[in-house]
Amino acid sequence: MAKKKNKQLIRPWCWYCEREFEDEKVLMQHQKAKHFKCNMCPRRLNTAGGLAVHIQQVHKLEPENLPRIENALPGRDGYEVEIFGMEGIPAPDVADYKRRKEIELGLNPGTITQPQNKRPKIENRPLSEDELKAQLAAHRALMGQSDAAPSATPEVTGAVFGAPPQTYMSGPVPAASPPTAMSPPGMPPMMPPGAPPFMHGAMPPPGFPGQPPFPLPGMPGMPPGPPGFPPMLPPFAGSPPPGMFPPGAPPFPPPGVRPPFPPPPFMPPGPIPPPGFVPNGASQPPPMPPGASISPPPPGMAGMFVPPPPPPGAAPPAVSPPPPSAPGSAPPSAPPSAHPPPSSQSQTPVEIPPLTLPNPSLAQTNPPFIKKPTVLKWSDPNFSSDEVRSRHPKYYYRKETASGGAQASSTPASDEPRGKKRARAEDFL
Amino acid sequence: MSATTDPNQVELSSPPFDSVSSVRFSPTNPSHLLVSSWDTTVRFYDVAANEQKSKFDHRAAVLACCFSDATHAYSGGLDTSVRELDLENEKITHVGSHSDSISCMNYSRDQNVLITGSWDRTVRFWDPRASAPQQSSHELPERVYNMGLVNYNLVVAMASRLFHIYDIRKMDTSVQTRESSLKFMTRALACMADGQGYAAASVEGRIAVEFFDPSPQVQEKKYAFKCHRQLIDGVDHVWPVNALAFHPVYNTFASAGSDGTVSIWDLKLKKRMRQFPQYHSPVPSIAFNCDGTKLAVGVSYTWEEGEEGAKTARSPSVYVRTIGDEVKPRGWTGS
Repeated sequence: MAKKKNKQLIRPWCWYCEREFEDEKVLMQHQKAKHFKCNMCPRRLNTAGGLAVHIQQVHKLEPENLPRIENALPGRDGYEVEIFGMEGIPAPDVADYKRRKEIELGLNPGTITQPQNKRPKIENRPLSEDELKAQLAAHRALMGQSDAAPSATPEVTGAVFGAPPQTYMSGPVPAASPPTAMSPPGMPPMMPPGAPPFMHGAMPPPGFPGQPPFPLPGMPGMPPGPPGFPPMLPPFAGSPPPGMFPPGAPPFPPPGVRPPFPPPPFMPPGPIPPPGFVPNGASQPPPMPPGASISPPPPGMAGMFVPPPPPPGAAPPAVSPPPPSAPGSAPPSAPPSAHPPPSSQSQTPVEIPPLTLPNPSLAQTNPPFIKKPTVLKWSDPNFSSDEVRSRHPKYYYRKETASGGAQASSTPASDEPRGKKRARAEDFL
Repeated sequence: MSATTDPNQVELSSPPFDSVSSVRFSPTNPSHLLVSSWDTTVRFYDVAANEQKSKFDHRAAVLACCFSDATHAYSGGLDTSVRELDLENEKITHVGSHSDSISCMNYSRDQNVLITGSWDRTVRFWDPRASAPQQSSHELPERVYNMGLVNYNLVVAMASRLFHIYDIRKMDTSVQTRESSLKFMTRALACMADGQGYAAASVEGRIAVEFFDPSPQVQEKKYAFKCHRQLIDGVDHVWPVNALAFHPVYNTFASAGSDGTVSIWDLKLKKRMRQFPQYHSPVPSIAFNCDGTKLAVGVSYTWEEGEEGAKTARSPSVYVRTIGDEVKPRGWTGS
């Protein structure tokens, strides 16, 4: 019955062209029309075999010069596989398709392939004092702070990582309380709880005993923002063990966890915001609700982050530094640029002039979407993504006067602060 | 992913480190490819051997590049400077500069002139052999986003949805000025291989097919259609169409979107002929080679989600797909 469970996720799809359909009826119609159509007469057959027999018998073609199946993907244009709707698709292709679908939908590996009903029961009730204590003890043991812990092998610690509660029972940690008490309280509700157990084998053991695997507040040299996990890492990698957070903690995923939707920019784990990094996008809205997390590329829906079109001449989006009219006496104290991402080499604390419309009378506004709700991935009507990107500190290039060719076309608004900035840049050097 | 296991497609083994801005094939050698990138380089590949032959470092991100002949190319980008690249000796020569970032460039082999477009609202003509390389500069009302060149027709697509069409032999006035028939910002432009017109695309997943001939009969043929969008839970997700490219022989065209797909369209039948399997990231640029046997596909993040998206983006790739009859229109007779 696994098929039923996948129904919302995997729609019927055509093996020949990997197109998706609402239901199998439509799929069969599609196959008849697109793939099983005889190109010598108007006849449409139900299967590839039927088509082959038809061509051989009606049109007297030898079996070896049958035309390939039309409109099929390379390698899938043969008659060997008998496809009828969703039936007859070779198992490896089904698995491959599901895997790609998971990636496309930004789901955890295995959410489609693995039946979902095996998830452990998670109780959502406030924990009693004793349970909390037990969890704390378990956590301490894990972190190598108690005497009971040193015997824990990496395999065991690895297995406990984000694993369903039962795993604790097999661990050597004596302080483990009955399974009912082991509901992970800090677990964010939108984290898919039914993560299949097979991936835990690949879990890395925690980096150092006694040190949580995420940047400590104020830790020097830590890049602001989530550590750069490659997108396809199992989402539980590096998550602190349950019990890390008091049950009342806000339901943010702990840093380091990659949720299936864009991570909150630099969300501090608890009430204490780490001093020493001010997110560049501090003015941006908080993370989106998980409801939109179905968009194909995990960060796809972040297109919503794009702020509404600015009025002509106003500071455009995504340019964090203050406008050039900021008092010139305080060069590097502008808060947004005080902690730029460390990755770029062209970093200077000097502000970048915002994008300005050279001709405000030509300013554009996007027409509204009336027919149906629409998410436009680039919604700035006046500046292209390349222009916005060119003003990012990582890419911004300061022009020199020596380059010549500076003509009347550059706007005075951007010229004046440029002069100031040059002076400042020299101060810095 | 099937994109990597597809036998018709190879991934270049040494792609740029940051997003691809433009891919261009040589006008004479079907396996020579230039790739410009935000990592400040232009790389020169032999795609048949899957080998990076040379690399050119710049001072800032490179947005545009193009070949002039088999061994010379040009580049331009955020550092506003027009550079000539000697592909054999890996030498860079400064040609001149704009006063803002260079967004696009084309080389006219008929006129032996390099044409660059910039956000400084000019299009400039260059002859690198002359003692004063800049031949002319033409003021425009808006920032230049894209240019297309076929025969002597130069189409300039600008911000604020403006289009100017020029005859490059007579650049003092534009032949036609048009407002885009699309309601959203122009993102891509390509001229038809047969010189009859051009296709333009917007950030709102839509492509317009337009014709040069201003006569009403011909203008009647123009049309626009939706693409590169997906309905997810009743919400229409609409991606920008980042690039268009016409097939040099069949005059069909390919479109590439931030949804990571590349589609092949039949201009006359107004039908999609093919959609290639989705790539891992948006597709910022595509190009057919000179004999129409290969399609280069740059795959990388395109800044729709700003810096945040860059952190989670997959590293860039350049794929070269060998193409055959899938781009040939039905009933093609070889004309």
